[in-house]
Amino acid sequence: MELSSEDGETRPPHVVDMTTSEKVVELLNQAALTPTDEKLTMLKQVQELIINKDPSLLDNFLDEMIAFQTDKSIEVRKFVIGFIEEACKRDNELLLRLIANLNMLLKDESVNVVKKAILTLTQLYKVTLQWLVRSKAVSEMQEACWDLVTQMKGDVLALLDSENDGVRTHAIKFTESLIITLSPRTSDSDIPKRQEGDISLDKVPKDHSYIRYDVLCEEGKIALEKLLKFMVHPAISSINLTTALGSLATIARQRPMFMSEVVQAYETLHANLPPTLAKSQVSSVRKNLKLHLVAVLKHPCSLEFHGQISTLLLDLGMPQSEITRSTPVPREQRKRPRHEQYTEGKKVKMEPTLIEDDEDKEEPAPLSVPKPAAVPVAQSAIDLTAKFLHPLLTPENVANLVLISMVYLPDIMPASFQATYTPVESAGTDAQIKHLARLMATQMTAAGIGPGLEQCKAREDDAGKEEGNEEDSSAKDLLIKRKVPAVMVGQAISVVGGYAEKVPATETPTTVKRLPEPILPTTQTKMAGVSGRKKVFRLSDVVQPLSDTQIEKLTSKAVQRILHSEKAIAQTGMSHVRVKLLSRLVTQFEGMMKEDVLEFILDDIRTRSDLAFSLLYQEYNTYLSQLPTGLLDSYDHCLYTLLSGLQEKPEQRDGLFTKLVLEAPIITESALDVIRRYCEDESRVYLGMTTLKELIIKRPSRQFQYLHVLLDLSSHEKEKVRTTALAFLKRMYEKDQLREYIEKFALNYMQLLVHPNPPSLLFGADKDTEVAAPWTEDTVRQCLFLYLSLLPLNHRLVHELASVYTEAIADIKRSVLRAIEQPIRGMGMNSPELLLLVENCPKGAETLVTRCLHILTDKVPPSPELVERVRDLYHKRVPDVRFLIPVINGLEKNEVIQALPKLIKLNPIVVKEVFNRLLGTQHSEGSSSVSPLTPGDLLIALHSIDSNKCDMKSIIKATNLCFGEKNVYTSEVLAVVMQQLMEQNPLPMLLMRTVIQSLTMYPRLVGFVMNILSRLITKQVWKYPKVWEGFVKCCQRTKPQSYSVLLQLPPAQLTSVFERCPEMREPLLLHVHSFTPHQQAHIPASIMAVLEAHKKTEPKPVEPVMEKETVPVAAPAVLILKEAPTTMLREPFQQDPAVTKDEEPMEQEESDPVIQEEGVNTVSQVELARLSETPSPPPEPAEEPMETSQPEPSDFQEPEKDVEAEVIGPETGSSQDVE
Amino acid sequence: MPSHPLRVAVVCSSNQNRSMEAHNILSKRGFDVRSFGTGSHVKLPGPAPDKPNVYDFKTTYEQMYNDLVRKDKELYTQNGILHMLDRNKRIKSKPERFQNCKEKFDLVITCEERVYDQVLEDLNSREQETLQPVHVINVDIQDNHEEATLGAFLICELCQCIQHTDDMENEIDELLQEFEEKSNRPFLHTVCFY
Repeated sequence: MELSSEDGETRPPHVVDMTTSEKVVELLNQAALTPTDEKLTMLKQVQELIINKDPSLLDNFLDEMIAFQTDKSIEVRKFVIGFIEEACKRDNELLLRLIANLNMLLKDESVNVVKKAILTLTQLYKVTLQWLVRSKAVSEMQEACWDLVTQMKGDVLALLDSENDGVRTHAIKFTESLIITLSPRTSDSDIPKRQEGDISLDKVPKDHSYIRYDVLCEEGKIALEKLLKFMVHPAISSINLTTALGSLATIARQRPMFMSEVVQAYETLHANLPPTLAKSQVSSVRKNLKLHLVAVLKHPCSLEFHGQISTLLLDLGMPQSEITRSTPVPREQRKRPRHEQYTEGKKVKMEPTLIEDDEDKEEPAPLSVPKPAAVPVAQSAIDLTAKFLHPLLTPENVANLVLISMVYLPDIMPASFQATYTPVESAGTDAQIKHLARLMATQMTAAGIGPGLEQCKAREDDAGKEEGNEEDSSAKDLLIKRKVPAVMVGQAISVVGGYAEKVPATETPTTVKRLPEPILPTTQTKMAGVSGRKKVFRLSDVVQPLSDTQIEKLTSKAVQRILHSEKAIAQTGMSHVRVKLLSRLVTQFEGMMKEDVLEFILDDIRTRSDLAFSLLYQEYNTYLSQLPTGLLDSYDHCLYTLLSGLQEKPEQRDGLFTKLVLEAPIITESALDVIRRYCEDESRVYLGMTTLKELIIKRPSRQFQYLHVLLDLSSHEKEKVRTTALAFLKRMYEKDQLREYIEKFALNYMQLLVHPNPPSLLFGADKDTEVAAPWTEDTVRQCLFLYLSLLPLNHRLVHELASVYTEAIADIKRSVLRAIEQPIRGMGMNSPELLLLVENCPKGAETLVTRCLHILTDKVPPSPELVERVRDLYHKRVPDVRFLIPVINGLEKNEVIQALPKLIKLNPIVVKEVFNRLLGTQHSEGSSSVSPLTPGDLLIALHSIDSNKCDMKSIIKATNLCFGEKNVYTSEVLAVVMQQLMEQNPLPMLLMRTVIQSLTMYPRLVGFVMNILSRLITKQVWKYPKVWEGFVKCCQRTKPQSYSVLLQLPPAQLTSVFERCPEMREPLLLHVHSFTPHQQAHIPASIMAVLEAHKKTEPKPVEPVMEKETVPVAAPAVLILKEAPTTMLREPFQQDPAVTKDEEPMEQEESDPVIQEEGVNTVSQVELARLSETPSPPPEPAEEPMETSQPEPSDFQEPEKDVEAEVIGPETGSSQDVE
Repeated sequence: MPSHPLRVAVVCSSNQNRSMEAHNILSKRGFDVRSFGTGSHVKLPGPAPDKPNVYDFKTTYEQMYNDLVRKDKELYTQNGILHMLDRNKRIKSKPERFQNCKEKFDLVITCEERVYDQVLEDLNSREQETLQPVHVINVDIQDNHEEATLGAFLICELCQCIQHTDDMENEIDELLQEFEEKSNRPFLHTVCFY
């Protein structure tokens, strides 16, 4: 208000004074509330006001301004940074307060803020240094401030590795500025006018209380080193590279002492443009390089590098004229003097640089530098090598070099090459050859080879000795010198990739180089820069050798990844590559991988079988390639694991197992074991054996090995395994090349039977030691399985069995007999070999032969050939009647009858069997076998047996057997038999026994019997005491029908009857009394007398009557028989004589051998019989029960028989005599 | 996106055709743009190839226009020079020489390699002060009206893309690669510092 009243002149000053502060306050207040754009404007105004217009206000509003550093807006924050810079420049004291804020902003999250902070730090670093240098006494605050600035400097240098391109760019610029600040300005330095006042190392006092000259100097060199190193990063972006190129040019011009490093860095870069650059980027970079080279060239100090620079420029396409134009006129002055000025302490080091030039070489002497050699090492190494190479570069050599290196050319032309290639204009000229030599020398030195390097090394060593006392100075240079080797290495890698291995070699020299030299900063830094670049390429620097476990883990993981990339790769259709890769990898390297892969395969072997096969083949390949010393172990393991794995899986029908086995190059022992296990697995036996069979057939070279497995299985304890194996073997037996082996095996196995105890072989062990265990049915069979299954295929084998049989012990014989049934039956009775066996019948094999005969004839009637053989055997060699039994139905009738007496003397069971055979009751299909004897014939034959040849008891038993067969011996048959017997003369001893028995069985035959009885009377039956006895008994049983018969007897005989059976008289008498008188009249008086006791014999006339009476009685019987009897009646008559004739001589022969044999044969008849019975369908009860269960009559007959037999026995002799 | 609009300079040889065409489009799209020439003189086609019309940079477009109308209105109407000058004078009064401009840009786009070289030479010869980076990109454009129009659109698109990057310096490399592929022409690119 007061102000408003004042006008004109007073106002302006007032406004200035009053409003500056006020305005600032107002602006600040507004700024806090307004949006970014206006805020910036206001803040800028404030800055203007408090810095330029009224710096006194600066301090007051500092905090308020700085408060905006946390503003949301990036621009505002950037502004604050700018403000800090301005403020600090205005008042250095503010650094103490603001530097920490700048540090904060340096770590801002926005890259743009960070970039701005870097720019500001670039400025403030210089400001701070200057400020401190000026201060006489440095306060603690200042020290802390400097420490922080130093730390920030380090942070920014670290940002060279930032991920952000822009940040890196700014960091490069910061580094550039830092290098210039931390190196001394010299007289030949190009100083931009604007920076004339800037601090540089030469303005730093060496005796400063806090700032240390040497430390700063070292930091500067480190920064340069870093920059150079950064530049050779292979993946450097084009912008960073461009920036760095520019920075180097700036450095070279402002600090010519570094020119050597810069030029060398350019050279290296030119030869090795980063491969990551795109084509256009390469052009840009080259353009920049050219630009900066020209800038460097224009500097007077470039003179000594003129050759290198102009070569580069020529390569970059700059015409010579233009180069010349840019070249400065050589000054009189040498650079050395200039250098010396700026580095008092380091003058010495300058000299080496100069040495490079030919002219300079003379100079070392004049200079006071004691150690000229050390510094220029790297460069002179290149020079030396170049000189060495120069004469060698003859056209021929060069051509050869080109041809050799053709091989190493990449497939695709790198963009950098394409962009940079310019035809060599001056090819073949000395200059060009020199250039080429130099290029090569650079590469060689970098790779650590070449004469130059060696010489330098030697020189260095010397220098090192000399300089022992200059420890401190050398310490400073340590870093730099270390880089020399790095440079070389880097070059080697980038240019000559193939030489990478040599890196380690070069390292040694590098580390060795702790040059104590007073440092020629130029050369050394140069080297450092170059080396920095290269270091990126130095594999050994970055890479630590992995521990074994790590290696293993990594490889295993790598393999795992390949393994599990299955699906992904399958989709790309490159599965075969993966498979190949895996199998190669796994076979080449040991370790867990193999297991992993195998496990992986087995997880899903069906889809991964290709991998399995590939792996297998690869293993085999490896084995082959290592022949003759190679081991199959690995292959074996692989195959074994795969096969076992398959075995453990549930059954699959894809035949993979078979495929694997058949396609495996070699089947190892353990693989064979797996196959064997397969075969032993009941669920896979077929698959296993099919596979085995294929192997046997398709792998002839080792077929016997495989065959042996199959043969082994043929006696396996599991039936299924065994039978399958046998089935396969039978098929294979048909193959000629295998037959012999199989046969031999079978026979060998059977041969085991001659051992007294089963060999352990049978129990699984391989040794042929005998075990104390006795033979058992099982073990015996085990030896026979294979043999027996072959037998039907090759009948000749049967003889082997016979020979083994004879040697075997009884137990084994028994088992053998039991076992052979099937095969023998399979052979059939027509088998010539079998017939031969019967014919030859080795001694001791009789039972075997008999058994064979039984088996053969068990179901089928014997063939004539067989009968012939048996008959032959029986007659000529072994007269054992038992041989005949099996073929009995094939014999002639008379033969049977002849043998009958011997047969019925055999064991009852055997006899029974014989009868069964003869009667056809044995076979269910008995109809087919036609017995040589009809049942009637048999019975008659029995009755006809001479009691000298056979005891009556046996005969009676035999007849009893006949009667047991009610179905066969029907009433008709018996009637015919009785009829025929009755007609024999003399009457058979057992006639009446048979009659009575028949009557008992068939009571209705009573009429017929009466007829018989009557006729017997006519044959004077009483002359045969036995028969007579029976006659009486019969009459006794058949009363009252027998009365009429009795009445026909002559009185004497009737009396005899009554003597035997007195009780018969009375009924008979009564019977007569019941007659009509007429009838009675026919009874002779003599008879009546007898009837009436002690009377005279009956009159004769009675007889005709009796005969008449009997006729009607007999008539029905005759009627019933009708035709049958007639036919039957004839036969016996015809044959009877023959029988009797033959019998006589036969018997004597037969009897002896039979008795002998009994002793020889260990197998009893009973056993034989039992054997034969087992297979027969209707199991016949044992002999004893049979007899008791005979028809009713036998009950009371039993006791009688014995009596009769006893009675008859003694009488036989007499009856014979009679005849 | 950078918090401030890009400061763009478009540079050709005479600051007439290519740079002005781009200047025209870019300013219409809201860029903070200026255009320059790098030649020592401003040259315009004359009646024959060896007889160009040469002016210095102090001559306004208006003056050139009038001069040419006077010389051969028909010829310069037919070859479009008058039309071009007419447009130019509506954008700014006279051509400017890049070497004489001390303003700081974020992006300098040149229209032919020779111009690019001159710009670099100039920028590098300046004394560095703030170390603020400036990206220089060369887009080759033939010096005729049609190409100038096409080139201007390409430049415009490029600038828009750059303007839209989150971090221009970090992404420009990649962006240029894409553009090279898309437009099928190489771009020279470098960075300089003020």
